Amino acid sequence: MRIRVLKPALLTLAVASVSAQAADQYPNVSLTVDAYHKSDNTALGGRHEGWGLSHTELSVSQRFGNLFDGTITAVGEANEEETEFNFEEVYLQTLALPAGMTLRAGRFLSDIGYLNGQHPHADSFTERPLIYRSFLGGHYYDDGIGLNVVMPTELYWRVGAEAFTGDELGEFDHDRTIGAWTVSSKVGGDIGASQSWQAGVSYLRNRMLDQGGAHEEHAHDEHEHEHEHEHEDDAHHGHSHGAEYAGKHLYLADIVWKWSPQGNNRGQQLTLSGEYIRATDPNESAASSDYHEGWYGSAVYRFSPQWSAGIRHGRVDLQMGHDDHFHEASMTESTLMLAWNPTHTQTVRLQYAHQDVRKDWQDTLSDSADNALTLQYIISFGAHDAHAF
Amino acid sequence: MRTPFKAASLLGLALAANPASAFSIFACEPEWAGLAQQLAPQASVFSATHAYQDPHYIEARPSLISKLRGADLAICSGAELEAGWLPALQQRAANPKVQTGRPGLLFAAEQVETIDQTETGFFDTAHVHPEGNPHLHLDPERLALVAQSLSQRLIDLDPENAQTYQRAQSAWEESWQQNIERWRTQAAPLKGERVLAQHTTFDYLWRSLGIEVIADLEPKPGVPPTTAHLASLIDKVEEEAPLAIVHAWYQAPQSAEWLGEKTATPVLSLPSTLTPEQQIERPEQLFDHLISALLELQGER
Repeated sequence: MRIRVLKPALLTLAVASVSAQAADQYPNVSLTVDAYHKSDNTALGGRHEGWGLSHTELSVSQRFGNLFDGTITAVGEANEEETEFNFEEVYLQTLALPAGMTLRAGRFLSDIGYLNGQHPHADSFTERPLIYRSFLGGHYYDDGIGLNVVMPTELYWRVGAEAFTGDELGEFDHDRTIGAWTVSSKVGGDIGASQSWQAGVSYLRNRMLDQGGAHEEHAHDEHEHEHEHEHEDDAHHGHSHGAEYAGKHLYLADIVWKWSPQGNNRGQQLTLSGEYIRATDPNESAASSDYHEGWYGSAVYRFSPQWSAGIRHGRVDLQMGHDDHFHEASMTESTLMLAWNPTHTQTVRLQYAHQDVRKDWQDTLSDSADNALTLQYIISFGAHDAHAF
Repeated sequence: MRTPFKAASLLGLALAANPASAFSIFACEPEWAGLAQQLAPQASVFSATHAYQDPHYIEARPSLISKLRGADLAICSGAELEAGWLPALQQRAANPKVQTGRPGLLFAAEQVETIDQTETGFFDTAHVHPEGNPHLHLDPERLALVAQSLSQRLIDLDPENAQTYQRAQSAWEESWQQNIERWRTQAAPLKGERVLAQHTTFDYLWRSLGIEVIADLEPKPGVPPTTAHLASLIDKVEEEAPLAIVHAWYQAPQSAEWLGEKTATPVLSLPSTLTPEQQIERPEQLFDHLISALLELQGER
């Protein structure tokens, strides 16, 4: 059990409790339980084998007059090896800035990529794609501030920038005021009545890996074998929050396309999405040709109001640092899922995943799963948050 | 970090200085777009949804975010009809004018008394509306009350054009009251009829016409019809011989058709809102269409 609330988060809470006195609205409380059973561990993170609770969250949000929305989300995860509790969101968000601007401060999900800003319980698959687990620790949230601007254009166009402490990117020896910053942009629109799309590019600058550097490197020099062991451990944990394979520069591109008959997505909807990530400069000794990269593509078809099926395929190509050079490792993952929504607050999902190691080094990916079957049950109570596109 | 921030705030200032063009109205549903266009003839009006979409299940699509971003006024049914998508749009669009509680957001359900308000607790998982049935535009009387509120809101937000709004409202009100009288006479033969309905979409219409709903195809509001539930209705339908099994255009017709076939009862598919593509552009045209479709069916029996 570990509880971490960092300084900016506490500050946000203090501000929130002061303004709460002025507000007459009730807070929205929601609880989402995500229970599962998984037949086998998968490499590069994901849910732990056996019975467990994944991303079970209690969220409280409160409107403060017309100025701010405050959100606190506590997330609990439990599996056969450990129980963890964490605050993933503690932030205030402005409602009244002019010119399409929104400012967020506190701890929140970064707006990079397509999936990162969304709550995992809204995902179409039980686990995030390989690239999210390898490069973003499943989903990247951190303490900081972020500004988004929606442009006054006919076509939807959003630009955003964020500055974070970087502490959630992994374990580091040093402390920086701004350990990471991001910029991102998204455009999107409709094509006729039946189709809609969104495309985005984002960039994450990981300053925690700059000179003076990372814990990982430190460990690498002096205790190489322990380090390797640590790595394996990390891979077992479904929710190692730091990125396992990091780079000073992370580039992301994402695209989503949705179709439903006459735009009526109640009965039927086809969603195609894909993302690509490249992480360059993995460490001090990296040459310009050394980078991690990966992608995934997914297709999810809701064929009736209560049923959907999906397929996803993804790949990562990793550079395993070894003294002053790198060894390549790569893996693919194919996933099939079938989901049933008996009511709009419940989901039962059956998912099959198959991992294929293309190239390995020192058995880093040896815990890949040939066949991993997951049965997941999600139920939510209270206020239901409106989901993003 | 400093550079992108500076750039973004400079850009923000530049955009804020842009002069506004025509008064822009974002309607969550076509009925409010149609009404707004009547009451604010010069405004640019956009409807976020259309008659073939289930208004409960709309996605916070990028195109809708950019539309709400530029709106001076948003009008929605409320009573949680848009709970699954409007908050996400408001949050993403970052338009202070249309945040909940601001005068630029008008919820129709807050202007009238809704029917079928139910108590719900934290652990209720069925899809119900504690604030009552939100499909209130299908009652001509309530629609007139919303029109009054909307007109007043337009005057508050855009006082320069107050006269235009007042004129439009009194002209509309006068003709609407005449329409109500006309519908009362026309629809008199429908009083006492019975129907089966899918969802509570037309409940306000049934009440205003004096039509009784003997059963709902949905086992619980918002839960799609199940075979078991439909089968359980067969006896009741055969016994009470309703005028029709009614579903909205946006609903899949299979359930109504299945039950209609089993019980030799006609199935009636009705628009629940305006459809400019099918010449139902104004609210009175919707009521004309609904009443004549029901009368026609009655005549055939």
